Amino acid sequence: MIEIKGRVRGQRVPSKTLEEKIQTAVAAGKRSIRVVADGQHGIGGRVWPRGETVRFKVTGAPGQRLGAMGMLGTEIVVHGSCSDDVGWINCGAKITVLGDVANGAHNAGAQGVLYVQGSGGARCDTLTKYNPRFDPIQSWYFRDVGDSFAEFKAGGIAVVCGVNPRNPENILGYRPCVGMVGGTIYFRGPCRGVSEEDARITELTDADWAWLKKHMKPFLKAVDRKSFYDSLTRSRDEWRKIVALTPDERAERAASRRGSLSEFRTRVWYPGTGEGGIFADYIQDDQTIIPFVTHGDLRRQRPVWDNNQFAPPCAGYCPTGIPTHERTRLLREGYESDALDLVLRYSPFPGTVCGYVCPNLCMESCSRQFYLGDPVDITYLGRLSLDRPAPAVDKDRPERIAVIGGGPAGMSAAYQLRLRGYRVSLYEREEKLGGKIYYCIPEDRLPADILAKEIERFASLGIEIHTGAEIDRKKYEEIHAGHDVVLLATGCHSPRVIPFPGYEHVVPGIVFLKEIAAGNSRDLEGQDVVVIGAGNVGMDICVEAFNCGAATVTAVDIQAPASFGKEQQMAAARGAQILYPKFTERYDPDEKRIYFKDGSSLPADTVFISIGETPELEYLPEAIDLERGFVRVDPVGRTTDPKVFAVGDVTRPGLITNAIGSGLKAARYVHAMISKTEYEDDERRIIPYEKVKFQWYDRARADDLSQSCDTESSKCMSCGTCRDCHLCEHNCYWGAISRRETPGGGYEYVVDGEKCIGCGFCAGICPCGIWTMYDA
Amino acid sequence: MPYVVRWDDDRCTRCGRCTSVCPVGAIEPGVFEKRLVESTGPVPMPTTVRRVVAGVKQVTDIRHRCVGCATCRLVCPNDAIRPEYNPHNKFRWHANQGGDPYKRGGRRNDPGVSTLDLLKFTRISMLTDPALDAGRHEFRVRTYLGRNLPPEELPLKIEGDSLVADGTPFIPPVREIFPIRIGGMSVGALSPHMWEGLCMGVAYLNEVEKLPVVMCTGEGGMPPRLLKSPFLKYFILQIASGYFGWDEIIHAVPEMQCDPAAIEIKYGQGAKPGDGGLLMAAKVLKHIARIRGVPEYVDLASPPTHQTKYSIEEAVAKMITSMSMLFDFRVPVYPKISGTKTALAVLNNLARNPFAAALTIDGEDGGTGAAYNVSLDKMGHPIASNLRECYLNLVKIGKQNELPLFAAGGVGKSGNLAANAAALIMLGASGADCGKYIMQAAAGCLGDENNRCNICNTGKCPRGITTQDPKLYRRLDPDKVAERVVDVFLAADKELKKLFAPMGRSTELPIGMSDGLSVSDRAVADRLQISYAC
Repeated sequence: MIEIKGRVRGQRVPSKTLEEKIQTAVAAGKRSIRVVADGQHGIGGRVWPRGETVRFKVTGAPGQRLGAMGMLGTEIVVHGSCSDDVGWINCGAKITVLGDVANGAHNAGAQGVLYVQGSGGARCDTLTKYNPRFDPIQSWYFRDVGDSFAEFKAGGIAVVCGVNPRNPENILGYRPCVGMVGGTIYFRGPCRGVSEEDARITELTDADWAWLKKHMKPFLKAVDRKSFYDSLTRSRDEWRKIVALTPDERAERAASRRGSLSEFRTRVWYPGTGEGGIFADYIQDDQTIIPFVTHGDLRRQRPVWDNNQFAPPCAGYCPTGIPTHERTRLLREGYESDALDLVLRYSPFPGTVCGYVCPNLCMESCSRQFYLGDPVDITYLGRLSLDRPAPAVDKDRPERIAVIGGGPAGMSAAYQLRLRGYRVSLYEREEKLGGKIYYCIPEDRLPADILAKEIERFASLGIEIHTGAEIDRKKYEEIHAGHDVVLLATGCHSPRVIPFPGYEHVVPGIVFLKEIAAGNSRDLEGQDVVVIGAGNVGMDICVEAFNCGAATVTAVDIQAPASFGKEQQMAAARGAQILYPKFTERYDPDEKRIYFKDGSSLPADTVFISIGETPELEYLPEAIDLERGFVRVDPVGRTTDPKVFAVGDVTRPGLITNAIGSGLKAARYVHAMISKTEYEDDERRIIPYEKVKFQWYDRARADDLSQSCDTESSKCMSCGTCRDCHLCEHNCYWGAISRRETPGGGYEYVVDGEKCIGCGFCAGICPCGIWTMYDA
Repeated sequence: MPYVVRWDDDRCTRCGRCTSVCPVGAIEPGVFEKRLVESTGPVPMPTTVRRVVAGVKQVTDIRHRCVGCATCRLVCPNDAIRPEYNPHNKFRWHANQGGDPYKRGGRRNDPGVSTLDLLKFTRISMLTDPALDAGRHEFRVRTYLGRNLPPEELPLKIEGDSLVADGTPFIPPVREIFPIRIGGMSVGALSPHMWEGLCMGVAYLNEVEKLPVVMCTGEGGMPPRLLKSPFLKYFILQIASGYFGWDEIIHAVPEMQCDPAAIEIKYGQGAKPGDGGLLMAAKVLKHIARIRGVPEYVDLASPPTHQTKYSIEEAVAKMITSMSMLFDFRVPVYPKISGTKTALAVLNNLARNPFAAALTIDGEDGGTGAAYNVSLDKMGHPIASNLRECYLNLVKIGKQNELPLFAAGGVGKSGNLAANAAALIMLGASGADCGKYIMQAAAGCLGDENNRCNICNTGKCPRGITTQDPKLYRRLDPDKVAERVVDVFLAADKELKKLFAPMGRSTELPIGMSDGLSVSDRAVADRLQISYAC
């Protein structure tokens, strides 16, 4: 045993010198060293004798970090208490302190043993390590330890015996084990505040107890407390153990530490706010959570199979409302004669009007025209009905109805009323029925036999027809008295003229046309002809003027010509010129010249004027209100005399189809009025084009679509009316749509709301625009 | 179109989930015609194949423009559809259809970096100050809402060994709260599930986690059940220029189990200064109408200014006194103003009013349920310099520890809630408010600064946050909202500790500790009077 002194001749030996003396002594083979310390740092550490034991006995006052980086084989016994960090990063030294250790004992220790006879200070056993190559580090505290014990402990075993503790209520100090991830602590006595996020307290196992009892003996012997062995090992129940949480336990504890919010809701929130929460007084709906995609009542939109809710453009824009889509449906279903007869319920003139003289608003507006430029050929379909017989007349009714005027409007009304069984008398001033169709349409546009056929069909119904019947006031009163209802359809036959100088030499166009119809056309051979007014009638006059031999025909107008379509094309084809704007100043019959206000003039052997006609209404009593020269009517043709209706041009000038439509409407109303049934108004909103999905149809091509019932009916997009194609059923991903038969041979498509999510695919893809999405 | 919908024909099963959920009708099922003319022979021998398929297409009508919310993508099982932001869009040029300026919800559409996000915490304890360990050391992050009288002004006297009140003095009420509050978002702006979720989260934080987070009601009243609950103490009641819901609050006073945390008098909102409150009729359903005291389905506009108040002196004194009286001067009462160059005038006025408990300044980056786009995008004052100016003024008059300033508007704009709040605190705020952040964090709000979604005003919020339609708000689970509120504040608490621990601050907040802040922009450094670091 050699002695190394920490104070020599009253002078304290520096730590560096003392360390050098110790290392020199060990190198010289000394294995038992007594150190009389005087605050020197790190005494007894870093001694490497390799397999041999080096013993230190330390007296005096050792400084910090005694035994720091101590090695296996080093044994240090300190006679008295120790300063901070005893056994700092201990790598195997066995350190016995016969007194207390201050803060940080065994901080970052990895191997070795620390026996403490008294207490530990703060932060003892912190950051101790785990290394499977060696036995675990042991730290033994006979009494207790200070605050922040075993922080970040990763390995080793600490034993706190709890004998005569400084704080009898807590032997492990304030908040032990924060950040502990490994190792074991055995302790005996009360403790508080062990970091629950990191460690848990548990009971000792048999193996723990055996280990503790076995290692207790050498500890007590080393610290001279052998007599406590029995009391410290008398009962396992006095001891408990702290281990670090495993990562899984740690996660579980973190999760469970936060009580579930739904539990909070029922346990705390509802007791405070009342059952159902803070909005329960106002909101009755089910508070459960719903997904983004919902079914049934929770859908935001629901589809409805709105069959026939919209009018197709053809029927909607047709003033007569002819349902071409129904015609094509019947054709597709193979009912050709039914299809061709259907139109006769709407108009007596499918061949004449639909087939020839009508500008065919149906085809103009046809969805196929809109999207593909090739409308269903309704003129073709109209002509096919030419040879069909008139529909059967309903059972005869006693009511007598007079129709004054045998033009398109009057004939339409008379036809409809007769079909409904009424006794109808028709009065026509001219010798022929047909009005302007007969008198004003050039043969070029309407072959005579066509109209003749349809008038024949009309006449076959049993209408009492009076031609050559001039109606004056007296005759009117007579008719009025003798009938239940009177319909006025006398049209416009009084030509409008402009009183410019020489106007008396101008021929009204309508007069010219009527002459031709009557078979005594005038001779215009080689003449220069001017037509004032470039509307469609003006165009017909141009054509007829050429037919009568005119050399040149010029139509003039004060504005862009109102004529269009076939009429204008035919006139242009014959060589008619249209000039505008031209305001006529005068006509000089001697000079055969017409002068215009812009200073220009044209040669004019004959001048026709065709700027419209006004009704001749001298026969009407004052009880019938007029409006700007026309009979004032409401949309169903009622005049101010409840018994009297007016239809056609006498109410306002229009197309022939307008005249037919107004006759139809008034007839329907009259029928409803007399039979006290509901007025059957088939006017519906016209389907917006975007609802019709044209993409399903190809354009008509010469080689696959020639004109026939089959092709025209398959071309039809059936706008607004289901064509029973099953696309919706196929497209619905959710299988929510099915087709079912209805009583009476019909069918419908229905939606199972519990399957439907309201995606709108049915509405988005339906070729006919039947499906509509409604807010649910 | 601000967003273009990318739809993948090949992946799509045409299940329609996307079209069933689109909140604005921006996509619809449609029909596509495909046509292929091909010739495979050695000479032209054409064959034509025509295929017509159903699919999903984008609606091009501006009223049904895609807003980019991506709910379609959320529900698509096949990843077949998604909106894509179109940076070249000209939407703003066309948004004023019908002569009505563009209205929306959301935030200022400026994806740029805010000043708050530029600030860095550069004073870190390196062997100098006592360094604290945020994870290990216990310390409290708390602030005071209420006026703190200086010791010499406290009406106390020593009698024998104890300190007793000197007469029957007015001692201003003060609440110790967590320094990040949930700013005012009204019942009505938010759905019942969202609002209740926030409230529950706040209650949980207080009751279970002992974190005294408070939330402001916004201007829309409060359901009487909450008014009469023991949780009222966690809520700041807001009174604003529309005075919605206040009759019910006043009726409930005798039945209250506790006082509210405070009363906030809203004079302005940072997101839309100078613009009043706006709740579109679509959102005024029965429960909202009853709570607010108005008829159902009417547009509810609050005037931009309080009526019956004609000067700053009068406005402040009158309102603060009235509201203090409601609870016998036991509840802190303070005004909230928009960030503005005139904030100092308000502050100086408050400094002279012994009943003024605090001042909240709401900067331009705040959010709103509904406002005119022009107010949102072009009006307002950034919070950083406005707050700093006010704080330095308090320092000048020696009241910086007396009258707390709260800052709001863009706190957490880029997701940095705690850092933004800490920066504001170190610039001089006693605390910060967040609103938009909590919508995004707690409920997954889909909005962003590229005008994504931002349809809060329409009542069609796809998340169920800002809607009164049960079919939409029932998508949102209030328990999950509450849970996320708890997450947000527990995490913010830890982050604030991480920021403050290295500065050695464990007991009191580093309010105004601007020597801890730096910025790499010289001009910002000068304006905020903080150091420049690069």
